[in-house]
Amino acid sequence: MRPRVLAIDDSDLVHRLLRARLRHERIDLHSVYTADKGIAAAKELQPEVILLDIDLEDLDGFEVLARLKADPSTRDIAVIFVSASNETMDRVRGLDLGAVDFVGKPFDVGELKARVRSALRMQRLVKMLAQRAQLDGLTGLWNRAYLDDRLEAETASAIRYGNPLSLVLCDLDRFKNLNDSHGHPFGDEVLERTAAILGSGRSPDVACRYGGEEFALIVPGTDLQETIEVADRHRVRISEIQWPDRPGVHISASFGVADLSCISGTPTPEKLIVVADQALYRAKNSGRNQVVGADAQIWPRSAAG
Amino acid sequence: MDHLSDTDGTPPIHSSYECDPELRDLVIHFVDELDQRVETIRSAFLSEDVAALQRISHQLKGAAGGYGFDSIGDSAARLEYDLLTDESMISDLTERVEDLINNCRAAVRPADS
Repeated sequence: MRPRVLAIDDSDLVHRLLRARLRHERIDLHSVYTADKGIAAAKELQPEVILLDIDLEDLDGFEVLARLKADPSTRDIAVIFVSASNETMDRVRGLDLGAVDFVGKPFDVGELKARVRSALRMQRLVKMLAQRAQLDGLTGLWNRAYLDDRLEAETASAIRYGNPLSLVLCDLDRFKNLNDSHGHPFGDEVLERTAAILGSGRSPDVACRYGGEEFALIVPGTDLQETIEVADRHRVRISEIQWPDRPGVHISASFGVADLSCISGTPTPEKLIVVADQALYRAKNSGRNQVVGADAQIWPRSAAG
Repeated sequence: MDHLSDTDGTPPIHSSYECDPELRDLVIHFVDELDQRVETIRSAFLSEDVAALQRISHQLKGAAGGYGFDSIGDSAARLEYDLLTDESMISDLTERVEDLINNCRAAVRPADS
């Protein structure tokens, strides 16, 4: 199947030119004329690359770029922004918002083709890597698919050999507010720093990105009590992260912890997740920035009081 | 009301992609549409429609070079720049508008082979 390229530009002149110039590339080119259609087409089509005009009439191109990057279904699409502006500030802004490249208008023929090819090449590699390694692209932690497989294996092993097994679910507090106030590039930075802390534990521990702002930690050979302490250490480190560019900003995370002994009936990986999730829910509803164990323990003690 | 000069000393301009098989048909199409664009520019100027002038100069700035007409793109860019930064009357832009129109009218339609 040929790679799809979506071009978002309000000028018919530009679309004709793109079609002519990219005719001999092995791609399927789709053209839309407005920002709204562009965002909708990106979601539906799932192109490999988007060529986005920054100077759109109906909506600021940077805003479109930000929205594409904010939506999980379009976040990983490579965006090349097209700009008639020669301002370096605009280019920096576009790249910081998550564009992978830019091309100037009017197009230099060779340059346009080369940058599209380059972006397609890169996308292919990124996809291969993500599928092969079962890694989360942003944080480098294991992804959800890996978590499920691994949890199943660890549960079977724990039951078979009579060893304890714990699971920590961690959710960043007020993450949506953070993104809205400071922008998605900062949100990404928060995710990366949090992931670095969660992933820096002992080697048997398996750290995964579980969802948009949620993480999971599989802690084999360790019981609930000890895992609660491990989780609280992570909680403290996360709350102490300094942001040199944003002095007033502080983040925190809530944690739910469970081990196999918290499960009634036959232990299964699904039940373990449910029990840990219930504890996480209690942590969120009791003021956040705390660790709640499935046995109703709450850390820090001050949060319990 | 200001008048636009009808005298035009601009030499004919050929597209740099005139002989490019990939683009020839598009260049022909582009040149054919220029008459219409000139009309739009002219009437926008005469009715002092800044928004319309801005739109069309922006479009030409971004596209004309891609069709091999750098001079049209450059004159469109100068007009757009003045529209955006100049606080004075639209009548002060006469020279820029004329310059753009002259460049458009000077564009040569590639001969049919």
